[in-house]
Amino acid sequence: MDVKKEIKSLLNQAEVYKSQGLVKEAGDKYIRAAKLIQKNAKNIGNHKSLLQSISKQIRLVKESIRKQEEEPADREMSEQVQEIIRTKFAFSQDEKRLEIDGAIALAKFGQYARALDEFKKILGKEDFRLEAAKNIIRCHIARDVPDDAVRQYNNWLSETFLPGEQLGQIHRLLQDILKKKGIDTLLSAPEEIAETEGESSPAETAPGLNENEILDISSVGITIPEAEDRSRTYEYDVSFQSGSIINLLISDRDHSFLKSIKKGTVLEQTQFYSPIAMFEGKSLVVSVSRIESGPKTGHYSVDIQIQSI
Amino acid sequence: MANINLKAREIEVKIVYYGPGRCGKTTNLEQIFKAFRKQVTGQMVSADTEGDRTLYFDFLPMGLGKIKGYEVRVQLYTVPGQVKYASTRKMVLREVDGLVFVADSLEVRREKNMLSLKDLHMNLKDYGLTIFKVPLILQYNKRDLGEQGLPVMPVSLMERDLNRQLKVPSFPASAIKGEGVAPTLKACLKLTLQSLKKQLGW
Ligand SMILES: Nc1nc2c(ncn2[C@@H]2O[C@H](COP(=O)(O)OP(=O)(O)OP(=O)(O)O)[C@@H](O)[C@H]2O)c(=O)[nH]1
Ligand SMILES: [Mg+2]
Repeated sequence: MDVKKEIKSLLNQAEVYKSQGLVKEAGDKYIRAAKLIQKNAKNIGNHKSLLQSISKQIRLVKESIRKQEEEPADREMSEQVQEIIRTKFAFSQDEKRLEIDGAIALAKFGQYARALDEFKKILGKEDFRLEAAKNIIRCHIARDVPDDAVRQYNNWLSETFLPGEQLGQIHRLLQDILKKKGIDTLLSAPEEIAETEGESSPAETAPGLNENEILDISSVGITIPEAEDRSRTYEYDVSFQSGSIINLLISDRDHSFLKSIKKGTVLEQTQFYSPIAMFEGKSLVVSVSRIESGPKTGHYSVDIQIQSI
Repeated sequence: MANINLKAREIEVKIVYYGPGRCGKTTNLEQIFKAFRKQVTGQMVSADTEGDRTLYFDFLPMGLGKIKGYEVRVQLYTVPGQVKYASTRKMVLREVDGLVFVADSLEVRREKNMLSLKDLHMNLKDYGLTIFKVPLILQYNKRDLGEQGLPVMPVSLMERDLNRQLKVPSFPASAIKGEGVAPTLKACLKLTLQSLKKQLGW
């Protein structure tokens, strides 16, 4: 193709891509056009001004790529959008759960302020009180205001609204989150808990685990006791998650971890990290298999199931 | 499966427009909103970024009248196409009954089409569905750009890239001009209702 025609075509493409929001593609075409112009400068009379305007375009394109990348994944939506989230993304077959499911959906879509309002309404309903309370704490954390979570907890502590056992669960949840965040606030424990300190509490087990409570887990920390007073924590990224089952890819160099687990091992101390919050819980190793082909040959694929959060 | 309310004799069907970023999903819904006045039962609601990229979804409710005494309501959704909104995309896909995969005819988006189809495949799998069985229509959008001299893939190439194994109905379209939008939707509704009837044993 005639060089001038080619340049013209590249610039035309770049314009159209840009107008469609295909900024990266637009940038590529501008850069190619600029290179062609430089190479053929002596045949192009107005090459200087052309190059100048192209480099301005490249700057603009880069700027909008940067803006897009920095765009937060969440944004406060109109009430209309929130109503759709609340009503259309509550999938429970159990009609009684629809309200709390709707509130959880709002939190999943980052509508924390509205989700908090909904959870607070649900606190009045005994069956869902604990779940709502836990989610209130998580929402405060997700909004990155741990102080609000602490204040909320302290309010509950001074009221008789939540039964001691539930308050104990909230206490553990929040204390754990704070620890993970490197915040050294020490929460005062509810009386019931203080008395039985040291005893581990009955964990909610898998059947009681609500699928909606399982958010996307991005990584896990697994603490394995090594000697009486020593333990080691292994951190892994999640390679895949399906419901409560999490798949981890583990290098064969991680002997010590692989040695301590097999199918059926209960991992008493598992930390689940999700984009919204962190939870401490229990998990069960459901399968361990060596990868026999492909680029990850020799690594191990380990499935663990969340037992309680 | 679709949400069936026996008491109210209502069936709610969920159709999702899927595809890579900027391929024209939202534009499809905008055109449907204009062209299907009679069937549209409410406002089109868009949850988008400050630009016009979809952040969570677009939503458009429609009514198809009665089938066997049941009022059939259809909810159209689009997903956000940008790669980084993977988790929202998956949430929007939940409990889908029928799908339109919108592919971008621009050559520069060839790989993105394929990646997005694969992403759809994986997400469906996570929900226990298979892309080979779910009611699915392909749309090859932005055909008009070829007429403007931009490098656009021939339909035969897109068929080979995307539809070789699926073998589902496919339509060329120029959503911005409203072309091909209605046939795509109608074909998807037809497949979806067929599959629903089969599931209900009607
Ligand atoms: N020329 C042309 N442009 C189109 C067509 N369809 C959509 N566009 C343009 O492509 C751009 C993106 O369209 P959208 O409908 O917002 O794309 P989307 O798939 O919803 O994008 P995301 O929400 O980011 O996933 C807009 O500038 C549209 O005007 C078409 O058929 N032809
Ligand atoms: Mg969109």
